[in-house]
Amino acid sequence: MIKTQQVIKKVTTSEGELQILQPISFDVKAGETIAIVGASGSGKSTLLGLLAGLDQVSGGEIYLDGEALHKMNEEQRAQLRGAKVGFIFQSFMLVQSLTALENVMLPAEIAGLDNPKQKALTILEQVGLAHRAHHYPNQLSGGEQQRVAIARAFISRPKILFADEPTGNLDAANSERVEKLLFELNREANTTLVLVTHDDELAGKCQRQLRMQAGELTEVTAVDDSSARKAV
Amino acid sequence: MSVASRLAWRLFRHEARRGELTIILFAIVLSVAAVLSLSLFSERLQEALTAKSAEFIAADRVLDSRNEKANPAWLEKAQSLGLQTASQNYTSSMAFAGENMQLVDVRAASEGFPLKGKIKIADEPFSPGEETATLPAANEAWVNSRLFQDLGITLGDSIEVGDARFTVTKALISVPDEGFSLFSTNPKVLIRKSAFADAGISGPGSRVTYSYFFTGDEAQLEEFYDWLRPQLNREVHRWQSVNDDDSAVGRSVNRAGQYFLLASLLAIVLACVSIGVAAQRYSQRHYDPVAIFKTLGASQAMVQKIYLLQISFISVAGILLGLVLGFGFQQAVVWALQNRIEVSLDIWHVRPVLIAIFTGAVCAVLFSLYPLLKLFSVPPLRVLRRDLGANMSARVIQYLAAASAIWLLMWAYSGNVKISAILFASGVLLVAVLMVVTMLLIRLGRKLGQGRMGAWQLAWARISRRAMDNSVQLISFAVTIMLLLVVLVMRNDMIKQWQDQLPQGTPNYFITNITDSQKQALENAFSAEQVTLDGFYPVVRGRFVAVNGEQVRSEVRKEKTGEEEQDGGRQQRSGLGREANLTWSDSLQTDNRIVEGQWLDTPLADGKFGVSVESGVAERLDIKLGDVLTFNIGSEVVDAEVSSLREVNWQTMQPNFFFVLEPVAMQQFMPTYISSFYLAAEDKPKLASLLRPFANVTLFDVDAQINQLRDIVDQVSAAVEFILVLVLAAGSLVLIAQVQASMDERQQELAILRTLGAKGSLIRASVLFEFLIIGAVAGLMAALANEVALGLLQRQVFDMQAQLHGEYWLLAPIVGAMIVGLLGAAGCWRLLRLNTAALLRQLI
Ligand SMILES: Nc1ncnc2c1ncn2[C@@H]1O[C@H](COP(=O)(O)OP(=O)(O)O)[C@@H](O)[C@H]1O
Ligand SMILES: [Mg+2]
Repeated sequence: MIKTQQVIKKVTTSEGELQILQPISFDVKAGETIAIVGASGSGKSTLLGLLAGLDQVSGGEIYLDGEALHKMNEEQRAQLRGAKVGFIFQSFMLVQSLTALENVMLPAEIAGLDNPKQKALTILEQVGLAHRAHHYPNQLSGGEQQRVAIARAFISRPKILFADEPTGNLDAANSERVEKLLFELNREANTTLVLVTHDDELAGKCQRQLRMQAGELTEVTAVDDSSARKAV
Repeated sequence: MSVASRLAWRLFRHEARRGELTIILFAIVLSVAAVLSLSLFSERLQEALTAKSAEFIAADRVLDSRNEKANPAWLEKAQSLGLQTASQNYTSSMAFAGENMQLVDVRAASEGFPLKGKIKIADEPFSPGEETATLPAANEAWVNSRLFQDLGITLGDSIEVGDARFTVTKALISVPDEGFSLFSTNPKVLIRKSAFADAGISGPGSRVTYSYFFTGDEAQLEEFYDWLRPQLNREVHRWQSVNDDDSAVGRSVNRAGQYFLLASLLAIVLACVSIGVAAQRYSQRHYDPVAIFKTLGASQAMVQKIYLLQISFISVAGILLGLVLGFGFQQAVVWALQNRIEVSLDIWHVRPVLIAIFTGAVCAVLFSLYPLLKLFSVPPLRVLRRDLGANMSARVIQYLAAASAIWLLMWAYSGNVKISAILFASGVLLVAVLMVVTMLLIRLGRKLGQGRMGAWQLAWARISRRAMDNSVQLISFAVTIMLLLVVLVMRNDMIKQWQDQLPQGTPNYFITNITDSQKQALENAFSAEQVTLDGFYPVVRGRFVAVNGEQVRSEVRKEKTGEEEQDGGRQQRSGLGREANLTWSDSLQTDNRIVEGQWLDTPLADGKFGVSVESGVAERLDIKLGDVLTFNIGSEVVDAEVSSLREVNWQTMQPNFFFVLEPVAMQQFMPTYISSFYLAAEDKPKLASLLRPFANVTLFDVDAQINQLRDIVDQVSAAVEFILVLVLAAGSLVLIAQVQASMDERQQELAILRTLGAKGSLIRASVLFEFLIIGAVAGLMAALANEVALGLLQRQVFDMQAQLHGEYWLLAPIVGAMIVGLLGAAGCWRLLRLNTAALLRQLI
């Protein structure tokens, strides 16, 4: 599903050029769940941004569902994101002036799917927020907002889901509920999941873990399927 | 509906409901409302004032034709264009009653005269009089009160003029086109035009002015004049319109018009600034949604469409609301001031509405363009890296765009390059100076900001850290304050001038032809009735015949001459070929100003007599300092060297002279005297008995003119005040918007300080100090720029004398610091009331 080869990322700062990702290569199979772990500042989000087509590589190749992401311009990447990718962020990233329902409908509308409202209501029901459909994000708790974000991520049935520290802003109880939902929906839709976290327990629930250290991919650990399932 | 329009509409609805659009919507509403109410109001006021000024010439346009009748085809053309016409003949003739005779001005009016204004008549000479819409019957005459004295007649008596006999049926109190001429004013006799030919006074040798009056639509009038102009002969014809009224009233009205224009321009600029600030803020607030839309797969085109539509919705809503509000506001003001201001009752004017819509649209588009472009460039990666803003940062482009938009609007709106250029240039100057000052301040602040972190240090540190943002802020505060100052100070100066022009007790009567021997008796008689005479000016009539020995033409060189400058009148004037009124004095009259040379109290070195010449006439007749002028006075010849050129304030209702000679030069002549006095309306009846013993003395009543002038000045002052309030309101709102916007920017920093454990009081104090510093600097800069702008405006546009306004140099920084500081403190207070968690949540 994802194929990377010698991906690097450089940025220009006031002190000159800085390479924040050393050459990285790995593959992700369809339906696989992957956790990217590592200390803060190790380059996890940077890598995620490249994989999801939010950012342009400085070198190397990325194929997403067979498409050469590294050759695309921003418009093409946007189209690809709309068609195949779902997102969940640490800071939820809901549009503050739209209701929960409208936030969930957004990807479906942008992608031009039929019955966005019906779909959104169904999936809000699944995340247990049908009764809050017409509330604005700032009327919801952090956990609720993230559940809305999860609903939004799944509405267009993406092939790949990227999550950047999905529970990073939540307390323990809410984290657990969000994790549960995330994996549940993921399994149901058989989505490929790439998840960034520094929470080892959460990482443990994924099938494989990629460890980042100072911009380098240092370690790939496979967790056996049964333990991952057990944790859910 | 496409996805983009659906989204745009949805965003607009929600954000409007949640109050997130309030500021930008408000800015547009404000600009439209301000422009509409200002221009609608001034249009209506101008219309009323023009109508009033039209009364001074009894029509919208007048064609004077000397000694020959106008071509009848001209009048037919006027009528065929739909204009109303009337005519009047003027001449001087002798009137006889028994033994007595008196030179009178005969006015023979056609049916329909006057087209504007009213004739006032009474059954009793020297009484206030009543308006009438009629004219005397064919064999009747209405005559000035004075003539009853001069000829010793009463109502019902008859007088002879030329070959005809008229029964005097009314005292003629005033005619609209009265004019104002202190000299050689003969009593008027109003008859019907049809009786004029019978009287046989228009025979060969007599001078007659034929005047034709026209009234109608501005467009018709223009068309007629365009048609007529090529056929006119400059030696014979004179075309007068209300607009080129050079009288005191005309000038006041013109100046007020300029002020309205200025105020509207400033309102537009303020509106632009507030829209710019609001659009900036709006754009920043949407960085996240844009990043989200893009992340979720929205194309660049879709994002653009969403926001362009969104801005259109906001603009349309703002413009509509603004129109309603502006109209309502203007109506409310008209209603509130109905006792003080007369405006045209014609409510619907297309021009102001179009201007308002145009302004709203242009402001909204041009000032949100750059923030929107910035918004479009927000990268989707922002969803991961929260500190990523827009990719564009070409501020120079923004400034250029903003500046050219403002310039375009000003120019398009005013059609007056001068006002626009002055305002614009002083604005640019202000911005440039501010840039330099901010940089200096920031450097200074960096020094001050070092050391222990007190509130002041924190404030300075913040100011210098965000140097660029702060300079923008400082500039927008300073520009706002400067514009407010210009409007305020301009209004004060203007109203003061008007009031100085017509203080209480301004003489409303002039008496001329007083002989030397009558002076004392007259003074005694008047003081017995508690009326004070304002001194006597000696007058000797003389003929101005040569400059440096070179004969001057005795025929006209220019229609307007001498003391007739204030005249809308009908006197046969023959340039300086006619007799000039010469006076002499040791002291310079108040309201006269020497512009070149030395006043007469400095004797000339070569022993010649000096003469001071009014600068306007000197320019017209090409008289220079040091020229020797020759006057024939009686049988004597007097040479005098021009020792000074003098500027005369023609707007004061005072006797003014072209030529003032050195007293020694005139010792040998027997002058008559002019004096003036103030008489309250209720004392008017005293006049007849007061003047009876002085039959030769001529009374001239300018009460009507003074009241008219005062009336207009009062109205215009009230209107100007309204405009001041409006602009002040607009300015304050802009300031609030600016502080609001800068609060958003500060939010993050406050949150961080807060999480780092800084005490609320420290943060509050530091923000307060920061705004105090910014406000004070902005105020000082504004005072400086105000002085420049005002000086230029007053000199170049308003025809006033500019002076410095020291008090504002102190006032502006203090008030600026106070207002900006207070607003800043209030905004900060609101932020700090949210707890830290909420603050941080708002941030991420
Ligand atoms: N555009 C950029 N300019 C400068 N530094 C960057 C940029 N993007 C990322 N970095 C730096 O690269 C490193 C990796 O960042 P990130 O991927 O956000 O780490 P993580 O998500 O693992 O905490 C950080 O030190 C970050 O400051
Ligand atoms: Mg990260």
